Amino acid sequence: MRDMLTKIAAFGYAGLIYGFIFLPVAVLVLFSFQDGRLPVPPFNGFSLQWYEAVFADRKLMAALANSFLVAIVSSVIACLLGFLAAYALARYKLPGSALQRGLLIAPMTVSYLIIALGLLTVLNTFGISLSLWTVGIGHVVINLPLCFAIIYSSMGDHHINIERAARDLGANDFKVMALVTAPMLMPSILAAFFLSVTFSWDEFIIAFLLSRFDVTLPVEIWSLLRSGLNPKTNAIGSLVFLVSVALLAVLELTLFGKTKKS
Amino acid sequence: MITSVNGAFARRFFSSVAAASLAAVSTVSAPAPALATEELNALVWCDHTDPALVEPFEKANDVKVNLKDYEGTGAALSILEQSQPGDWDVLVIDGVDVQRAVGLDLLAEIPADKLPTADIFPEVRMEANNMKDGKTYAVTEKFGYNTISYDKTKVDPNDMKDLSVIWSDKYKGRIALYDYYLPMIGLVALGLGKKTAELSDADMPAITEKLSEMKTVSKQVSDVVSSQTALATGEVDILVGGGEWITAALSGEKPNLDWTVPDQGAVRWAQSIGVMKASKKQDLALKFVQYIVSPEGQARLATSSCYWAMPANMKAGEHLTDAQKAALRWNDQTEYLKKTQLYPIPSAELDQKMQDAWTDMMQQ
Amino acid sequence: MSTITLEDAERRKAWGFVAPALLWTIAFFVVPFLFMAAMSLWSRQSGQIVRAWNLDNYIAFFAKDSLFKGLMNSLEITLIVTVLSVLLAYPLAWIIAERVPKRFQRLALIMAVLPFWTSYVVRSYSWLLVLSKNGVINQTLMTLGVVAEPLEIASNRTATVIGFVHFFVMLLTLTIYANLIQLSPNYRRAAADLGANALQTFWHVILPLTLPGIMTGAFLTFVLCIGDYVTPQILGGNNELVLPQIIMLQLGRRADFPMAAALSIILMLAVTLAYVLCARWLKIERA
Repeated sequence: MRDMLTKIAAFGYAGLIYGFIFLPVAVLVLFSFQDGRLPVPPFNGFSLQWYEAVFADRKLMAALANSFLVAIVSSVIACLLGFLAAYALARYKLPGSALQRGLLIAPMTVSYLIIALGLLTVLNTFGISLSLWTVGIGHVVINLPLCFAIIYSSMGDHHINIERAARDLGANDFKVMALVTAPMLMPSILAAFFLSVTFSWDEFIIAFLLSRFDVTLPVEIWSLLRSGLNPKTNAIGSLVFLVSVALLAVLELTLFGKTKKS
Repeated sequence: MITSVNGAFARRFFSSVAAASLAAVSTVSAPAPALATEELNALVWCDHTDPALVEPFEKANDVKVNLKDYEGTGAALSILEQSQPGDWDVLVIDGVDVQRAVGLDLLAEIPADKLPTADIFPEVRMEANNMKDGKTYAVTEKFGYNTISYDKTKVDPNDMKDLSVIWSDKYKGRIALYDYYLPMIGLVALGLGKKTAELSDADMPAITEKLSEMKTVSKQVSDVVSSQTALATGEVDILVGGGEWITAALSGEKPNLDWTVPDQGAVRWAQSIGVMKASKKQDLALKFVQYIVSPEGQARLATSSCYWAMPANMKAGEHLTDAQKAALRWNDQTEYLKKTQLYPIPSAELDQKMQDAWTDMMQQ
Repeated sequence: MSTITLEDAERRKAWGFVAPALLWTIAFFVVPFLFMAAMSLWSRQSGQIVRAWNLDNYIAFFAKDSLFKGLMNSLEITLIVTVLSVLLAYPLAWIIAERVPKRFQRLALIMAVLPFWTSYVVRSYSWLLVLSKNGVINQTLMTLGVVAEPLEIASNRTATVIGFVHFFVMLLTLTIYANLIQLSPNYRRAAADLGANALQTFWHVILPLTLPGIMTGAFLTFVLCIGDYVTPQILGGNNELVLPQIIMLQLGRRADFPMAAALSIILMLAVTLAYVLCARWLKIERA
């Protein structure tokens, strides 16, 4: 009986929190189908016009492509630099390694706004124009600590013997790294990569302050919203969400279903 | 310290993201515009970013117009400060701040015969602002009012004819204040019987007091979209600082939203456009300015996607539909123009004081 | 030739591997930060940046109530959000880890963080609609007769806090769950063998063991929350300003970089303080 009660309490609580978590998403998706110019109650009826408007919006589509580009390129760089640094610090005894680790992690403890302002100051001083590149630089700064920490923390000493064996067989450092270490650490490298992509994809303030003509999706949505209410913003938000969910489901059922036990 | 988000779970989980973005990008089906031979960089207000406005010019002149929009002259100056000379070709700026830009030697002279001055509403030609020493540096392109927008089904429209309603108790908690200090302080000044052009340090104590009273009776202080949301959802019934640029585009959907110019008057805003002095493409930049102030360009600008407002060029009327003209209140302009005053133009010191008063009010 | 030992060569190689990351961090993080710190000592007068070294900006921060109050608002909101998020997320993470059958756990967790993939900016606007006078929450409560008048939960601090808590509950559920499943069931068995009841086991065994995870999540929440501009700007209705909003005002309305820099340094000091307070729980460990 008591068990029953705790069970009800537990699932009741979980239900409430799930409700809270999904509330804004449900409203967002619902009003993306609004038949009318205002994404506010009452709901006038079902229409796909705002989805059409999204696809017809050249600026929004360009921003989508920019976001994708920045997210992928900055995440690849962050992972690569993070992996190399983690390898060096885990496998070699370097002087001041604690300090180096601290330095590499440091940007994680600083607000994005401050990182953006600092970069803006420097770019200004050296007369470097803002572009998607400067946004990318900023995103590497915020994602490098993350990638480094994730990869470094998964570099167990038990991997050393395998690497040593490879070296004994005549492989040089780069070969060991590329053919032995990296594959062994692939789960964490991928985790770091996808986490970076997620953060870069949704990052606003750095992208806002460090971009000029070519902007990323969050910045484009921001300026779209400045012009007033528009169910188009709901539609683009829902679209990104629904496509992610669909892909997540496909991946779950195919790719990761098989490696569940890993 | 990230051990907690590490591991197989995160790997499986976040892998979906890349795939999601991949799919998202593969949907980028809109064809890229053909590569144009020349580019023009314009620092503008958000109404210029509407493709319906810019594309005809791009096609006609085989040029790509890069647009960056900003809010508030301070932001524009800070963007210009961060740029190299020659980075920008065209500047759209608050009419009252043209002199500031001329003072900073930012704008190039425009030959008078290149502009349709005779077609521009006389009240908004603003020679005192757009010209210096007999030379023209900018031209007015669009104007409107910061006044009172309201829901006519929820408030008594007669109350809206008196500006003092913005600090009275009658609609306590049902008022939103538009978050831009200059027109708002201008409105307060009008409510106090002062002229916006004559504001000085001595007026600040009285203004600060009224700002504080306004804050007390208001529900929120918000930017364009939050104000619009608040008014459209019934969160508030009055928007102080609003006008046709908030309600015109919603007129079809929300006929209950209205706006008026009170008896004491209201604040008129105007935006000007000019050519950057350091631009290396003076001719093309001027061509763009000419397009924007042409009747066709003006009609598109007046009804652009970001906000609607009156075009400066009278001939734009020929290219607007009756419904559009009605939403813009084309026929009421004579009366409105008579009753309204321009934004205050404070000195740097007074500007600082006004901003401080505004920030203090929000933090109150 | 013989001066180059094997060890030297190895070390040089190691430096070669770590150098790109270090250089990137120094060039794009440390140097910008120093530039910003230097700029915070300049000032802006009559539209020009004056390179005279002084503490005027910092003095102004303490002298002007509206600025100082920005920091206080930031700290208050961030603390409320952090505590609320942990309190709400912990039980959920626990339920998923302990009460949900193993094969559904991953699904439960994915569901808990799914809204991550709606855009952050759009999601904040969505909250505005949910919380408004005619929004879903008020309509529901009024239909059910729970309240007679709509609750004032939009465009104020409550709205900001709700928007933040929503985001961080997702984040913290993830981090705390990851921590909980690493606990060996042996601990619980041992505690039970020693006669501890469920509450005692939780209080004396599970909670202390998950504390590092909680603190990591809480610190992350603190950093992200105190530096965020979007949520308070959209949901707060400008009824009070937090420090990031004031920083953006300096940039957007005055082009006052020195003041923005000074305020950023102050914001960073607040985060550093939080870091010092949680430092003993925050560390990277290798597997």
